Amino acid sequence: MKTPSASKQVMSILFLIAGVALVVWSLAMDIMGSGVSYRGATLVLGAVGIIAGLYFYPTIKHHRTIINIIFLFPLLFAFAVTVIIPLVLGIGYSFTDWDGIRVKNAVGFANYTRMFTQASFLWSIFITFLFVVFNMILVNLVAFLLALLCTSRIKGLGFFRAAYFLPNLIGGIVLGYIWNFIFSNVVTELLNTQYSMLADTKTAFLAIIIVYIWQYAGYIMLIYITGLNTIPGDVLEASAIDGAKPLQTLFEIKIPMIAPTITICTFLTLTSAFKQFDVNLALTNGTGSVDILDNYLTNGTEMLALNIYNTAVIKNEYAFGEAKAVLFFIILACVSILQVRISNKKEVEL
Amino acid sequence: MKKKVLSILLAGTMVLSMTACGGSNSTSNDTAADTADSTAETATEEASTEEAATEEASTEEAATEETAADTTAAAGAIRLLNGKPEINDQLLELAELYKTETGNEVSIETIGGDTSAGDELKKMYQADNMPDIFVIEANQATTWDGMLADLAGEEWTDKTGFELVDANMGTIGFPYTVEATALGYNADVLKAAGVDPASLTSPAAWQEACETLDSKKDELGITAVFGWCAEPANLGWSSGTHVFGQYLDAGLKADDTTYIDMLNDGGKIDEDRMTKFAEFIGMMNKYSDPNLLVDGTYDNQVAGFKDGKYAFITQGNWCVTSPEDVSFEVGFAPYAFEDGINTIIAGPPSYWVAYKDGNVDAAKAFFNWCAGDSAQDILVNKAGLVSPFDDCQYEATNPFYKSMKSYIDAGNYSGWHTMLKKDGLQNETCQVFADYAKGTIADAAEFTDKISKVIAGYYNN
Repeated sequence: MKTPSASKQVMSILFLIAGVALVVWSLAMDIMGSGVSYRGATLVLGAVGIIAGLYFYPTIKHHRTIINIIFLFPLLFAFAVTVIIPLVLGIGYSFTDWDGIRVKNAVGFANYTRMFTQASFLWSIFITFLFVVFNMILVNLVAFLLALLCTSRIKGLGFFRAAYFLPNLIGGIVLGYIWNFIFSNVVTELLNTQYSMLADTKTAFLAIIIVYIWQYAGYIMLIYITGLNTIPGDVLEASAIDGAKPLQTLFEIKIPMIAPTITICTFLTLTSAFKQFDVNLALTNGTGSVDILDNYLTNGTEMLALNIYNTAVIKNEYAFGEAKAVLFFIILACVSILQVRISNKKEVEL
Repeated sequence: MKKKVLSILLAGTMVLSMTACGGSNSTSNDTAADTADSTAETATEEASTEEAATEEASTEEAATEETAADTTAAAGAIRLLNGKPEINDQLLELAELYKTETGNEVSIETIGGDTSAGDELKKMYQADNMPDIFVIEANQATTWDGMLADLAGEEWTDKTGFELVDANMGTIGFPYTVEATALGYNADVLKAAGVDPASLTSPAAWQEACETLDSKKDELGITAVFGWCAEPANLGWSSGTHVFGQYLDAGLKADDTTYIDMLNDGGKIDEDRMTKFAEFIGMMNKYSDPNLLVDGTYDNQVAGFKDGKYAFITQGNWCVTSPEDVSFEVGFAPYAFEDGINTIIAGPPSYWVAYKDGNVDAAKAFFNWCAGDSAQDILVNKAGLVSPFDDCQYEATNPFYKSMKSYIDAGNYSGWHTMLKKDGLQNETCQVFADYAKGTIADAAEFTDKISKVIAGYYNN
């Protein structure tokens, strides 16, 4: 290694100063609302200057750290712009009366207290939890049965696997409209009912669950298939020699052996059911009436994500929607942390 | 030996990828900044046609040049955000004509379909990329409070009574079309059944007409008397905004705001009027096509009317736009749920407004030109709009036009005050209409009770 030279140090410091100056200047221009068209270019030049300055800085001790940061910069920048900054801004907006255009007043916790007095929002929370519980059980059950079918020795295995997985490749909105047609034109004929399942709150809720299972079970099935294939053949063989019946093999060998897969699938279905939006939007758009506790609610099948969207965009209450979204974020964060904790524990046990 | 070659190859690719990374490091910066500048631009480009996009780019260049040179031209290139995708082509034609006639440019950007223009505008505002002229509905004026130009005193304001006037900002909205909604009828069917549409101005007359039509269904070749669909998920705007609007406005003069004022005062309703309205809706439910009523679609509803399967349809003049669509005469009959109601709702459901910080002078010039003869020719004859201007010499091609005009000329029209209700209310009330249609709400009294609960709950949550 060469010893750090003074000229190199001067050069890098010059680069740094020029870079910082350019960045500050162009940001200041932006904040003051100046229409100078080249301020974007100067901002980029400034950033390049700072990076060059850091890169050329003659140090042995911190060289590795600097290079690491420079290489991570694109990723960190993208992460900050798309995730961190919107998150912070969103939390900030939830304490104001932002209408999507301007912030007029800061309102403190008013949005947060208001959402717990809104019967329709409480209903949305309730129905979301109900949906999550139903889905977590049913999707896993259906997916596991399909996986058992697809790991048995039936003919046309590849076809079945592909067929069960295909619905997952169709987008939720398209899927919703397809099923909308099926419910109002096919199911009414089959069951000889007068109206589509979607016209009544209870059956509409059931319809969303059916469509969701149809969409998601194939995906979870793939994970179960992988899990079932990792069971060592000698274990199965040994149990067969010991005279285990198929059911015994299933409950006492296969299921315990794929316990970690079950955990993963449970949490996958849990989080994705929580975030349910597109099928909900396309199938019922949250409609359905509920007569409960002297309230006549008109959002019988509106789940949390759709409720947030409707509050912000349709009802034009962006700040209120933002506050609901923060609550949604907290719920999901708790679930995810729980998930990581539990799956870590399982891995230790294995 | 082999290993050495392999390791050199690997090292080589690594170095290459590193330099590539280093290179893209700065370029990624570049693009990041660039995209930030032009996000909104691309968003609108997606929606507008390519033609409009290129035009927009050129106008934007012109606009920046202008600001850079700091010249205040009386009229320059402007951008117009249109919310009606069905008239996009005609507006592009309009822009072309404007250029050949006046030498000034206007570029059309169209937002529509499932994205509402109001929503897109918010993004444009955040991105500092506001068009000079954009479309708003009447109740959105408060959202843009203080940001719209006052157009009072412009030449065109003398020629129309339909401009949007805001208490704080003055005359802000340029009406580019007039739309009407009531019960559209198939004149041939009514004639064959011996029902005179002009007599339908009382609940009793309606009841009698329905019974007559219903009893002659087979010989008239109709499936049901009403093509009325209360499906809430996709057609909630029809029941929740348009049909509900009849409660607010039917029978009132265009500037009478009695019931919308009551509604916006904490969600109060007039129970007596609502009950009568509910009885009328109950009659519609009874004589409607059961296959359409609860889970139909807009397409089925309109197609059924065009095929002559329904005597009445609960839409407006937008559902039949061209004379070729129907083989029979059409017209409007009022929602006469009280004796003597003889008005239809007519007026501009949305307006063009000028953004205060945009090129207001050019926008004003464009509005004046639009109210003139050559522009009206395109808007009326090609786009199929109904002109809001008194001196317009063109007869709209819309089959409903004759009926609309007779109501407007006689002064028998009410306002679109339903557009002034609280944002999103239609998504709540449409469910009550759906339950009533389905039968889970049994009668008019229960309908009134439920809808007043829903409205009050929505206004005071």
